[in-house]
Amino acid sequence: MPPAIETVDLVKEYGDLRALQELSLTVEEGEFFGLLGPNGAGKTTFINTLVGLVRKTGGDARVFGHDVEDDYRQARDAIGLAPQEFNVDRFFPIKEVLMHKAGYHGIPEDEAADRADEVLKRVGIYDKRNERFDWLSGGMKRRLLLARALVTDPDLLILDEPTAGVDVQLRHDLWDLVTELNEEGTTILLTTHYIEEAERLCDRVAIMNEGRKVTVATPDELKERGSDTIAVRLESEPSTAPDLGAYAHETTVSGDRLEVRVDDGGATAPRLLNDLEARGFEIADLEITRTSLEEIFVDLTRSEDRTVTRSSAESADGSDDESSAKREREREREGVA
Amino acid sequence: MLSVGFRALFRREVLRFVRRPKNTFMPPAITNVLYFAVFGVILGGRIDEIAGYPYILFIVPGLIVLGAISNAFENASFSIFHGRWNEYIHETLTSPLSYAEMVVAYVGASAVRGLVVGIIIAVVGRLFVPIGIEHGLFLIATMVVITALFAGLGIIGGLVARDFDDLTVMNQFILRPLVFFGAVFYSLETFEQAWQVTLSLLNPMVYMVDSVRYGLLGHSDLIGVGVLPAPYADFAPLFSLGVLTTATAAVLAIDVYLFKIGYGLTD
Repeated sequence: MPPAIETVDLVKEYGDLRALQELSLTVEEGEFFGLLGPNGAGKTTFINTLVGLVRKTGGDARVFGHDVEDDYRQARDAIGLAPQEFNVDRFFPIKEVLMHKAGYHGIPEDEAADRADEVLKRVGIYDKRNERFDWLSGGMKRRLLLARALVTDPDLLILDEPTAGVDVQLRHDLWDLVTELNEEGTTILLTTHYIEEAERLCDRVAIMNEGRKVTVATPDELKERGSDTIAVRLESEPSTAPDLGAYAHETTVSGDRLEVRVDDGGATAPRLLNDLEARGFEIADLEITRTSLEEIFVDLTRSEDRTVTRSSAESADGSDDESSAKREREREREGVA
Repeated sequence: MLSVGFRALFRREVLRFVRRPKNTFMPPAITNVLYFAVFGVILGGRIDEIAGYPYILFIVPGLIVLGAISNAFENASFSIFHGRWNEYIHETLTSPLSYAEMVVAYVGASAVRGLVVGIIIAVVGRLFVPIGIEHGLFLIATMVVITALFAGLGIIGGLVARDFDDLTVMNQFILRPLVFFGAVFYSLETFEQAWQVTLSLLNPMVYMVDSVRYGLLGHSDLIGVGVLPAPYADFAPLFSLGVLTTATAAVLAIDVYLFKIGYGLTD
């Protein structure tokens, strides 16, 4: 069975701006896959390339083995997209909007009506079925986008920041729903700014920055890449930080509190205690702090404030370009990047 | 066999204008009541017959063409541009419909609106003057072709437009002047100078108005002014229809190409 998503050296250029840079990514069928990255990282460009709203400049992109341009009909038929923007037909009541979308995917009218009812019930806005989109609250609009993505019963559900700006209750409702869908076999690609969301939901996450894939790993693997901090409270204040050896990457003293940064706090703590006691320190208390996924994310995506252009990518020295950066920000607002 | 997806999009497009008759059907009905009353009854009563027809009857075909193609153009351009503006055209673009199906659905629905408006204008005209149909099949074929042609041009307009003002400019400042100088209110045979006829023949609207006039009244200015050489002069209406059909096919092919490359639709 081909992967749900497979891209090889995918490139998208907007003039001199490179929104995607040789992006190679594979999402297996049935996975819950997260795409993380700061604004302008290229997440939405990547998604829009898959669904046909962006034409790639180079490379290959396939959905369940179907090329997104040569076999666009099969590729698009497999995808349900809940975008960031509220791009919904305002002319018709929402049930008809869903029926139209189902119809475009070849679902006959009677069945489309049944499916529309079903997904509206599933997302909890069935009682609003005869309302137009503009009359819905913000949370209901977000639910409708999900309903529209589901009405075609897609094999690949793409959620582009589905919980941005929604309240806690709705966020948890959406999490429960997409988890259920994934357990039923739907492959899910989720982009999000919320690290907790990715950590809670995703089997694997890709971190993107400036159009590139920085890394792909499970949330646990990512966390293992971070360092831990062991904070030790001593009975008396040390005059200087003790020399503890190579396992202690950084040692700082603040009053009677000693902080030591290590790779694995749990495994290193006994050795640290022994070393401190051997040097005559009396230990009052100890606390291990694990690196959060958020800190790792920030660390991985920390970069200079620069915009990647074709020329800078080729020369790999990334000079600042204020006008390009502005243009990229504008594209981000427009939902392009 | 038309696909389910095509029928869904076509249906959506037709419902959009059918459910808003105050915006889509009432304006041309009222405008044409005024045209017939002012140009036909009040002014027309002071004008002699043109080409052997009462003036009010002579202008009926031109008014039908004006209403039909304006509405076909307006419907297609608005539908595409409004969908782009609010981005809900993404619902179509992210679907498995082929680009040809998308174009034919948009064009077909807009042509239907143009045809319905044409019929409304004919009915309004019938309130003022008896109207017969001399060449029914030719009339139907011409109306289908010209509404599809302008719906196809409307697609291009909707893709090219950058704001709503552009749509207004296209309709009011390009389309309407061409139609008004397309022999709607006069006959080419009334021109005394040859250059006036030659200049008029450069206007594509002349051929549309003339074809519809031929279908309704059986009269063709193009036969009268001898647009084709002597042995073939009577084939002028068929020649016009052939050229218009070719133009329509070319415009639809351009539409499909623009959808394929995503012009105005994708990044």
